[in-house]
Amino acid sequence: MPAPQITFNCTIQEGMIPDALRPRLAAELARITTDIIGGDPDAVAVHYIEIPYGFGFRGGHLSTTSAVRGEIPPGCDQDTRVRLMRQIQDMWMELTGCTTDELVVSARDRRA
Amino acid sequence: MPYYRCAIPKDALSFEQRQEIARAFTDIHCGSTGAPRSFVSVAFFETEPGADAAAAHPTPYYVDGANRAGRSAAVKQQLLSDLTDAFGRIAGVAPERVSGRITENPASWTMEGGFVLPEPGQEGPEWYAAVAAAAD
Repeated sequence: MPAPQITFNCTIQEGMIPDALRPRLAAELARITTDIIGGDPDAVAVHYIEIPYGFGFRGGHLSTTSAVRGEIPPGCDQDTRVRLMRQIQDMWMELTGCTTDELVVSARDRRA
Repeated sequence: MPYYRCAIPKDALSFEQRQEIARAFTDIHCGSTGAPRSFVSVAFFETEPGADAAAAHPTPYYVDGANRAGRSAAVKQQLLSDLTDAFGRIAGVAPERVSGRITENPASWTMEGGFVLPEPGQEGPEWYAAVAAAAD
């Protein structure tokens, strides 16, 4: 298996994303990312970090927000980066049923 | 964004303390930057004594903030000072047991509420209105 070139850390709130759905979300993240910026889907690593109930807040209230934080190879132009974030957002909302207000997506340059 | 990750010793804080800290952080961040309240996320991660996460921080309580880039060093330093002061007061721990940092990324690398974030200072009334409408 190739070393991960693209990594997603998905911070989710307990009870919001069923265990059974997580492999499909990971597969879709890999598919979308490699479709847009290239690379090998097997080199996309996806990690889930689950925040226990009562430990995650947004705006001072208990959070239902998922944060999908990608690290991609440096040099991506902004139009491509926005297309990537938008497609991830649309996919995540479709599969999980969350709203736009319950999702943060980022695609930052991988640090050397 | 912003996202504040707080490392705390296991079983150190009650739910009420965590919620009060989250509310205080929201007040402080929004008062300093003008960001919408709904954008401020705060999460708490419990660390076991001697665990890697605990050993990675210089103090038992650690605030790790991720913000949009573009604010002055003075603003960032004041923000971090206000956050750690509030944390220590609400948690009931001595100031020397709380520390933190704020790291930054370009706003354009994040999409939130369906919008690519504007740079600090570039949030026009249209953006605030769109954010409010998305939150309704």
